[in-house]
Amino acid sequence: MDYTVHDSGNLRELEMRGQITFEADTDFRAIFAAWEQGGIADCVLNLSAVDYMDSAGLGLLVMANNAARQAGITFRLKHPRGQVRDLIEISEFHTIIPCEF
Amino acid sequence: MSGGPPVVIGHPRTSSARPLRDVLGRLGVRRIVVVDDVRLAQIVADTAAEPPQLLLLHAGLPGFSPDFLMALRENANLRDVPVLVLGRFPAGTLRGELMRAGATDLLARPLTLAELSARLSVHLDRCRLDRSLQEVIRSLQTYHHGAMQRMALARQMQLGLLPDVAACRSLEGRYGIALDSHFESSSELGGDLWGARSLDDRRFALFLCDFTGHGVAAALNTFRLHALLARIDLPADDPAEALRVLNGLLVGLLPEAQFAAMIYAVVDVSADRLVYATAGAPKPLVRHTGGRLEVGPSCGLPLGLASEARYRNHCLDFPPGSTLLLFSDALYEARRWDGEMFGYGGVSDLVQGLDDSDLQRPLGRYFATVPRLLADDLTVLWISRNGRPRSGPD
Repeated sequence: MDYTVHDSGNLRELEMRGQITFEADTDFRAIFAAWEQGGIADCVLNLSAVDYMDSAGLGLLVMANNAARQAGITFRLKHPRGQVRDLIEISEFHTIIPCEF
Repeated sequence: MSGGPPVVIGHPRTSSARPLRDVLGRLGVRRIVVVDDVRLAQIVADTAAEPPQLLLLHAGLPGFSPDFLMALRENANLRDVPVLVLGRFPAGTLRGELMRAGATDLLARPLTLAELSARLSVHLDRCRLDRSLQEVIRSLQTYHHGAMQRMALARQMQLGLLPDVAACRSLEGRYGIALDSHFESSSELGGDLWGARSLDDRRFALFLCDFTGHGVAAALNTFRLHALLARIDLPADDPAEALRVLNGLLVGLLPEAQFAAMIYAVVDVSADRLVYATAGAPKPLVRHTGGRLEVGPSCGLPLGLASEARYRNHCLDFPPGSTLLLFSDALYEARRWDGEMFGYGGVSDLVQGLDDSDLQRPLGRYFATVPRLLADDLTVLWISRNGRPRSGPD
């Protein structure tokens, strides 16, 4: 997985690419660490270019949601596609993390 | 260097070996044995007790020759011991013969004490490193052996959580079904668990649970769930309520980012239907007579994430002649040999190709398509309504 950061005012959009699995753990921790430095009020995870996510990836979304709450950041998901969308819908993750389909 | 096995000096005149002893002593060697040809034979015979760390042989020993060296190397306890030969070697052919016969190095005289010390130091350092490495290897082998034994025991314990053959045959006889299963962890232990139990003469319940991740941590969660299931009385006729109760127990019990996908189903062979609820679990598939495939809906938060989660019951026709397939996500998330995900399409093809015999044939086709070394734990349950339940009291 890799990602690009787009900042606009206090909104940060993270454009994720590739696969979100256990191997993405280090990247997510770097994302959380950046939140703690302040200056961000909202963060959107753009999933449109993520082609695969497994249950460990869902676990990372849970961790991201908790980390955002602790940092006082509004966290949401955006544009999941294919298998990622199916997984989010089957798991109803959009009921605990706002998701724009 | 101190301690350790001795350095054995083989010298025709033991009293003349003093310079060698002095050099070795200055290099830190504490145990030095100087022997002539007669005692050398005895030392060699005793190597089983403690092989020397180094043999330093004077080429003037009576009977010394390449054959003598070859005989030394035939002793299993001396096969890896460095053997240095000290002497004058005017002929190149002799030097070659000695090296081929097993000499580690030749210390050709004339030789200053400083050069002798430098040459011996290299070999002694190598011996010390080799002994350290051997100790590390032995330690790792001991740890690995113990870990494998503990893992094998733990795996047996985990397999013991699953319904045994007698339990499965009992369900088959009572409800007129054929029940087959496949349970395969991606490592020694896994995070999947399934179970089944009779409710009454017309209904039985079954579940399949898949905890996040795999390995020891996920396996510990399966033991947690099994213990919970053993001490609570789940509502028999309401899968959604059963999941709600289990979720309430798991929230706060599981660490952050760990949760469980689960399907809980009640099969009613009298009403020819299946009522089930899911918590992030894959969609169940029913293959009807004639090959028509029905994919059940699936929606619901995985267990252990939110105490307020609620679940919904769904109903599927499950008449005689039909087959139900439940599975963990590893079945369709596995990558085929060409790198593509097996997918729900692949699973559908498998199910449509099912006959009423057993699960093994489609699984054989599956494992011809995906590499056997799975990245996640795989559980597949196959229930075929191939008969009528036996009559009898509840």
